[in-house]
Amino acid sequence: MLLNRLNSGDRWRVRPDGPGKVTGTLAYLTDMDVPGELYALVLRSPHPHARIVSIHTEAARSLPGVAAVLTRADVPGLNRFGIARQDQPVFCEDRTRYVGDAVAAVAAETLALAGRALDLIEVEYEPLPTVDDPEQALMPDAPLLHPEGNILHAKSYRSGDAEAIFGQCAHVVEETYVTTRQMHAYMETEGGLFVPGPDGGLTVYAPTQHGLMDRLQLSRILAMPEGRIRIVSSPIGGSFGGKDELNVQPYGSLLAMATGRPVKIHNSRRESVRSGLKRHPMTIRMKTGTDESGRILAHRVRIVADTGPYATLGAEVLNFATEHVVSAYRFGCVDVESVSVFTNNGMSGEFRGFGGNQAIFALEGQMDRLAEAVGMDPWEFRRLNMKTADEPGPFGQTIARTDGLAKVWAAAAESALWKERAHPDNSENSDIGAMLSSKHDPRRGGGDLPLWKRTGIGAALVMHGAGLGYGIPDPSGGRLALRKDGKIEASFGFEECGQGLIATLEQMLIERFGFAAEDLRIVIGDSDAVPDSGSSTASRATSMMWKSLCLLQPPFTEKLLTEAANCCGLPVQRLRLGPGGIWDRESGERAIGYPALAERLAEPIVCEASTSYPTPDTDVVGAHYLYSYAAVVVKVEIDGLTGRIRVLRQFHAVAAGPVMNPQGYLGQIEGGSSMALGYALLEDAAMSQGQYIANNFDTYLIPTISDLSGPVEVLAIEDLPDDDAHGPRGVGEIGSVGLAAAIASAVRNAAGIFIHRLPIDPALLQEVIPIGELAVMSDGR
Amino acid sequence: MDDKEPVRLSVDEPPSDGRQPSVIEAPSAFAAWSCTVNGKAVALQLPQARRLLDIIREDLGLTGTKRSCEIGRCGACMVLVDGAPVNSCLMMAYQCAGRTLVTIEGIADEDGLHPVQRAFLEEGGYQCGYCTPGMIVSAKALLDAKPNPSSEELEEALSGNLCRCTGYGGILRAVHRAIEEGRGSP
Repeated sequence: MLLNRLNSGDRWRVRPDGPGKVTGTLAYLTDMDVPGELYALVLRSPHPHARIVSIHTEAARSLPGVAAVLTRADVPGLNRFGIARQDQPVFCEDRTRYVGDAVAAVAAETLALAGRALDLIEVEYEPLPTVDDPEQALMPDAPLLHPEGNILHAKSYRSGDAEAIFGQCAHVVEETYVTTRQMHAYMETEGGLFVPGPDGGLTVYAPTQHGLMDRLQLSRILAMPEGRIRIVSSPIGGSFGGKDELNVQPYGSLLAMATGRPVKIHNSRRESVRSGLKRHPMTIRMKTGTDESGRILAHRVRIVADTGPYATLGAEVLNFATEHVVSAYRFGCVDVESVSVFTNNGMSGEFRGFGGNQAIFALEGQMDRLAEAVGMDPWEFRRLNMKTADEPGPFGQTIARTDGLAKVWAAAAESALWKERAHPDNSENSDIGAMLSSKHDPRRGGGDLPLWKRTGIGAALVMHGAGLGYGIPDPSGGRLALRKDGKIEASFGFEECGQGLIATLEQMLIERFGFAAEDLRIVIGDSDAVPDSGSSTASRATSMMWKSLCLLQPPFTEKLLTEAANCCGLPVQRLRLGPGGIWDRESGERAIGYPALAERLAEPIVCEASTSYPTPDTDVVGAHYLYSYAAVVVKVEIDGLTGRIRVLRQFHAVAAGPVMNPQGYLGQIEGGSSMALGYALLEDAAMSQGQYIANNFDTYLIPTISDLSGPVEVLAIEDLPDDDAHGPRGVGEIGSVGLAAAIASAVRNAAGIFIHRLPIDPALLQEVIPIGELAVMSDGR
Repeated sequence: MDDKEPVRLSVDEPPSDGRQPSVIEAPSAFAAWSCTVNGKAVALQLPQARRLLDIIREDLGLTGTKRSCEIGRCGACMVLVDGAPVNSCLMMAYQCAGRTLVTIEGIADEDGLHPVQRAFLEEGGYQCGYCTPGMIVSAKALLDAKPNPSSEELEEALSGNLCRCTGYGGILRAVHRAIEEGRGSP
């Protein structure tokens, strides 16, 4: 189904969190204030790599209005954090390893006083050599950033001896693909409010994608039992993976506990850029060979990822990239070796797409190059080499069977855009077509198109794993209850980052159970009130809500109907759930409302479900079981004068099982792809000598409405095999993956150059379009 | 509300030592300041260089106006000053004294949502919602000035409002819907 409001009918719903968002009345956690609050700031290292000789805080402490100045000595528990591996210091001890490393934190009566106190902290640093290139960090003489060495993680996957096969190949393509550091650029910077309780407990109001993980991490740092820490973590002004790891929470929490007063902290954009996570820059070297007919015989890949100073999820991102440089193609032999390397650059970590973005840009670039070498249509080349539904996954593991890949391939092949590539619309180019000889490519200027502009169409195929993968605990679950006040309460430990999770949950409850929106109370984002559902990451939340509701439906329905039958004196079989209450099937009337039923119950009706994200039967850590598939076709226009690329039109075919929430699904694909557009054309959080060059949106450019005014079509392919037990697959990330590769492919089509580095450098395109030659022809006309 | 708090001016140039942006205290010359905000007369004592964004969020408690880039690039803090869209992070108290301000909280009609707000709701022109108040303020200003804007005018009017979630698809649909509905009414 082509996703839009019209086709969705009644399933296109106003989000429950919408009114508060369009009126500005919804309070974000960074909008909260309480009387008597202190303002906090964090002192961060000015040096990308330095030894801390001394820290003196006396002057800062003695400034009137300063309530606390904390350093490494003031952490009661573990002075480290990290979701997977706890190696990032809360406060640096003897060394700083990047320009966001925290050295001290201050809480004061006003923000201005906190700033002045920060200036009064004296830190003596002895700068150390900066390791700002991961390849350099791998050299034997490189300074060691950690005692165990400069390698965070290495991953390899091998089936056969690829190197030996290349000699037998008719065509071999070698290329090095380079991607840069992308910033999440959520509009709400990190922050929140930290409120100590009278009982010695702490309430944290700060965005995160996994409240219970924050609670665990803060309990280690504060040396407090988890039960005395409450995390309120939604709503969130955007995250995209960037707020999953702890950011300001350790400082707000420590300062609140040290002062006994509420502490507010809200990063400036500059602070956010400097301390926050980014997408891993990767260098991906690929060598791939085919036989005469175009069948791929061998694929050799080497990945070097710049993970920055500390682990966070760098190892997991690398595992994902390693899996997705193989993806859905049938390679005779695969040989992948990947390494994630510590540097003194900014922190790299979790970011929507999770390593798939870099991997697919490289892999799809390789497919286009090979197709040309073989002399095949690039899309046919992909079909020749892609796996069928019965073949194993990228790591040779068994995966859930779907025809998604073949279906998205076919949808793209049949799309108007792809057909236009084979038969360019001559009306647009008729002028030059008539003027020039037949060898002239009609895409190159003419007609309505100025001589210095060209258009091109390209496509990319994407396979994207969801869930945390084999080897990582990935539990989930949820709770349904009929509460005393008559509300049907659905509680999940998920977060609302903007993706529409609350709306999707509401829609599933209405469509699956027959409830009305007014019957429901949805509880998320509060560690004191929700069961463990796992993280709102890895495109997993919708799948896990669906699975939990499947498990909850029979017992919850039965309990409600049984109690209703008792109350009404009707047989259970005659009753069904419906809007407002329980209905009599025979009379067609409502037998009892939920509030009336709740009133007559001694105890609320409560059902809990536990499940976990499915994983394959394998021994490869990170291997996935459920995948979503996408094909992206894009038309671009290149301006040879400026070298700028304009995306004119996009078509996305996505196979991810049934659509739970059409507006949410469409929004994920449109929004995700806008990030990929920025990744391909604009965004580069470049660093020089370990310092960020861009610190805000004046120099770090994300797409504006002018960059994205062209039509975007999203086709949702909902089919799953009849025996499929896993329901909707994730769509949170897949939209952010394919468009960059498709744009590179369209640039090849338009301008004849292969792109191997993102973002695409406009200077390249200024060079390749021979404006002078065309101008002469134009003059002669 | 704390009238005694010194004003903060954010300094954008990276300080040479890489520290936090410096905090500069303006002369604490508190003076009378008055405005019409969302239809109500407001009178405060405040430093004349206080940022409008801080007046709105901190002094008036109107947190629908968001803080994000603080350099006038993202539009999250957009408000109307005498009907024109202004990044409130770039305007100081003395520059808007005596003028008519409208924030997102003042956009709605007496009887409910403004047509632009309703269009955003119905078309799904938002996700996380953090840019939404500023976006709606800019869209309202555009449609007040030009009820039938061209595509170029629409892009121009909204390109100062960054949205990271939607890819602008829902926003474009919402604004087009508001334009359509505006045509249907006098």
